[in-house]
Amino acid sequence: MTVLRDMRPVYVVGVGMHRYQFASDTNYIHMGLTALRGALKDAGVDFPDIESAFVGCTGIGMAAGRILFSHIGWTGLAVTQVENASASGSSAFQLACLEVASGRREVSMALGVDKYGDQVRAVAKEGVNRLSDTATIPLVKYALLAEYLKKEKGLTAEDLALVASKNHTNAADNPYAQFQKPRSVADVLASKPVMGDFTSLMCTPRGEGAAAAIVCSEAALKRLQISGIPVRVLSSTLESERPQVGREMGSVAVARSVAQRTYHEAGITAEDLQVVELHDAFAIEELLYTETFGLCKTGEGHFWLRDGASRIGGQCAVNSSGGLIAQGHPLGPTGVGQIHEIVQQLRGQAGPRQQPDARVGMAHMIGLGSIAIAHVLRRD
Amino acid sequence: MELEKADLCAIGAGQGANGPVLTLRAGMCGACRQLHFPITAYGCPRCGAEPGRVAEQALDGRATLLSFATIHSRLSPLITPPCVVGEAEIAPGLIEEIMLAGEESQYADGMAVRAVGVEITRGDTAVLACRFEPAEDAP
Ligand SMILES: [Zn+2]
Repeated sequence: MTVLRDMRPVYVVGVGMHRYQFASDTNYIHMGLTALRGALKDAGVDFPDIESAFVGCTGIGMAAGRILFSHIGWTGLAVTQVENASASGSSAFQLACLEVASGRREVSMALGVDKYGDQVRAVAKEGVNRLSDTATIPLVKYALLAEYLKKEKGLTAEDLALVASKNHTNAADNPYAQFQKPRSVADVLASKPVMGDFTSLMCTPRGEGAAAAIVCSEAALKRLQISGIPVRVLSSTLESERPQVGREMGSVAVARSVAQRTYHEAGITAEDLQVVELHDAFAIEELLYTETFGLCKTGEGHFWLRDGASRIGGQCAVNSSGGLIAQGHPLGPTGVGQIHEIVQQLRGQAGPRQQPDARVGMAHMIGLGSIAIAHVLRRD
Repeated sequence: MELEKADLCAIGAGQGANGPVLTLRAGMCGACRQLHFPITAYGCPRCGAEPGRVAEQALDGRATLLSFATIHSRLSPLITPPCVVGEAEIAPGLIEEIMLAGEESQYADGMAVRAVGVEITRGDTAVLACRFEPAEDAP
């Protein structure tokens, strides 16, 4: 298999976002164009410079991308819509990177945009019943896992609340975040009970928004006279779940497998990472993934968290954007929004959320099904 | 009364505390000799064998409860919180999410549970739904 590092170098040169927000009457065209114009301005390029676009979108409908782009110029760019559940934006980014890495295009783009509410899940059309009426609700699976880990590892509801408090507090300084209010552990514990120890502030909100990332080749960097700090994409890795072995959920096993593979492809180890954006749809996931990604030792995720290692300024800032819990999770844009955050961090442009000396970062997403996808980025 | 999700379970022999004992409809693959649940019209999910290679195998509905928690919020229109959901091993290596009858205070990790048909209403219709309850031989 040929990996990204064996192909032409790919650089992220522009990122933009429309704030994530609760369902509103804001048109998706408006949100998408806001993110797109932000990315164009950031890169210092014009829309006609973009040769192809991959649009991550789960709920708007057929041809969302083509209709969106028809409002910014009929340039003939190649448009492909990508749906991969929560990882739609990450998959769109992967395809944009591969376009450039393979030599097919010089400049490509991933754009994620979504409205909340129109998503249709294929599992409802599978024609297979499940014993539990909640068997296809991820929150239930993770709440049960948290119950298990509580007894197995001594996790507490306070640990879950600490993840959420950290991420809400990070998001308070993020102008694109859906929630922008610092929350204490006590605030999180006092929010609405959902299941077991889970409260509403430990879970991602539903919402909408947009994010865009422009990638290009070395030749295009020179031709377009891009003056900003380019961020190289070192790896791009995607796998789906295998059968569950023991108590470890398949989605956690595939998250680990993808992290290990993407480190190998990028030629790094977990110790090289200063910033990580990961799928904290539920606080328990962040505790698990910091272990499965090798950021800390297995079984010590809650100690690593309590030590402040995952805070901004710690060993590796995890979800400096606020993550899915607080920046939000509008599905189509989420993976591209992670790239936005990593790029800002690696360029040293994250403002009050800046992780000192950030040079290498990873964006890691889980999509329903489950699939896992990861990208490692580095400032050269 | 009609059994809800009759593709997953069937009325067995005997009576539990909350309703008739149910068996579970698993599939045994003739190609890879692995058990899967539930049996479907699509074949073996493990090795991809055609449906014709899969034979139905009734499980006795007894399971080991691994974890459980109470749902407080209406996560699905199909549930009425508070309700208790858990994970249980319904056959060696086969872990399924299950719904438990009654309140969580009667359950413990590692406890033996069994599938029974519990009367619930769906709209205006009463049906028997598969729920798990403490098995009589539980320690
Ligand atoms: Zn088989």
